[in-house]
Amino acid sequence: MTEHATETPTYEAATARLETIIRRLDSGEAGLRETLELVREGRGLVEFCAAELDAVGRGLEELRLDELVARLENG
Amino acid sequence: MPSEPTPGLAGARPDGVTGSAFPGPFPVGSYAALLREELRKRARVQLFGEVFNVSLGRARVYFELRDGAGAVPCAMWRDAFDRLGLPEGTLTDGAQVVVAGGPDYYPGSRTSSPSFSFDVTGLRVAGDGDLLAQVDALRRRLAAEGLLEPQKRLERPRLPRCIGVVTGEGGKARGDVLAALERRGWAGRVVWAFAPVQDRRAAPAITRALTDLAAISEVEVIVVARGGGSLADLFAFCDEALCRTVAMLRVPVISSVGHHADRTLIDDVAAVACSTPTHAAETAVPLHCGEARAVLGATARGLSRHADRALAARAAVSSAAGALARHARRAVITRARELAALSRAPGEHIARQRRALHQSLREMRASATRRVAAERAGNRRAAGALQRRAAAASGPDAAGRRAALESLALALAAHDPERVVERGYTVVDDRAGNVITSAQAARAAGGVRLFFADAAVDATVSQEQHKEKE
Repeated sequence: MTEHATETPTYEAATARLETIIRRLDSGEAGLRETLELVREGRGLVEFCAAELDAVGRGLEELRLDELVARLENG
Repeated sequence: MPSEPTPGLAGARPDGVTGSAFPGPFPVGSYAALLREELRKRARVQLFGEVFNVSLGRARVYFELRDGAGAVPCAMWRDAFDRLGLPEGTLTDGAQVVVAGGPDYYPGSRTSSPSFSFDVTGLRVAGDGDLLAQVDALRRRLAAEGLLEPQKRLERPRLPRCIGVVTGEGGKARGDVLAALERRGWAGRVVWAFAPVQDRRAAPAITRALTDLAAISEVEVIVVARGGGSLADLFAFCDEALCRTVAMLRVPVISSVGHHADRTLIDDVAAVACSTPTHAAETAVPLHCGEARAVLGATARGLSRHADRALAARAAVSSAAGALARHARRAVITRARELAALSRAPGEHIARQRRALHQSLREMRASATRRVAAERAGNRRAAGALQRRAAAASGPDAAGRRAALESLALALAAHDPERVVERGYTVVDDRAGNVITSAQAARAAGGVRLFFADAAVDATVSQEQHKEKE
């Protein structure tokens, strides 16, 4: 495995995993322990997705490329 | 000029430019008419080139005829054009044509603009235009090098935080992109890279803007947007260096150049080609953020329901386990008490038996003591009598008397019934202690008791008659 657990997940990967978790929970096949573990993982993913949505909901910020480049170059 | 223009009716001729040796001044209308006259005298010729900016008016058809070195505006009467019977769409941008005609000049008026044009009296479509042929050749070359694919393999985020946009600063595309992002409920960061989008400077400027945007790590997707135009106007987006740059960028590029009918090379190398800037912005943010929030809320509620059910199930299991433990504890205690009671029972029984035995022993000892005392008293009395008899018997013939006594004892022993029984005889009684001495008495008794040397046994007498003893 080259992926690490610390790798930043993407929104699409998180939502895909959430869909898998919900399908598994809705199937009713998960036992008590698995259900609680899936719920815990799911809540973490929901928090991540909510944070991603918040990040693009704080208000549109417009920057000109030359301004941004100048800002980056000036550190 | 072969002749001077005649003065116009507009009034007196003004003074000329001081120091100028040129003739005049002449009224411009006269000059314009002469100019048209002169141009119309020019030799009629045939030209060939590529058609651009075709405009089909009700009276006239206008277009430009171009090649790499120059261009001429052309005009043709609409009825002459229609008589050619060209299929619809033949005279499109880039089409290579041959035209026949000559220069003409519309002198204009006080209320209309003058214009120069090549008056086309004949036209023939010669084949695909050079520009389109160049574009097609370049497209084939890029495809052969596999440069149409890399962008399409890039992963596009569903929810980018930062979008780069290359467009003309004053163009309508900018507003369209912003409006589309707002409809998506997206309010992240937009980095604008403004560049000329249709002249000679356009391709290098757009290439540089794309490279700079891709160099900023936070830019996750780039939109290149421009409104519609002729192929010549959009030709910057077919630039080879620009297309090669786009193909190799690490960031996915969404192109929206011209309208759906226009197909530029950047559309081929980009990750996605869209028909409008609005569509491009929607493609850059595929997710509708408001809907995504609603879905996420529903997902969170679903998870909570599952968690509640699981926790309730765990509580029920825990409760059942508690009840089981209580039952088990009660059962163990009850069983232990029963076992303890059972384990005590033999002890108590033994103790009772022991007490009874002790009582019996005490009674036996008391009885034995009494009996021994009685026996002892009897013995003392017998011993006294014997001593007295022995004293009487002791005398000169004592030995003889002892012998006689022993003889009597032997005789007596011979008649002792127990001695007889020991030899195999049996004494019979009727179980009531009456000795039975005949078979008749035995039959009459029915049940008899036989006394052997060691013990007695009961016997039942058969009524069967046996022969009398011979």
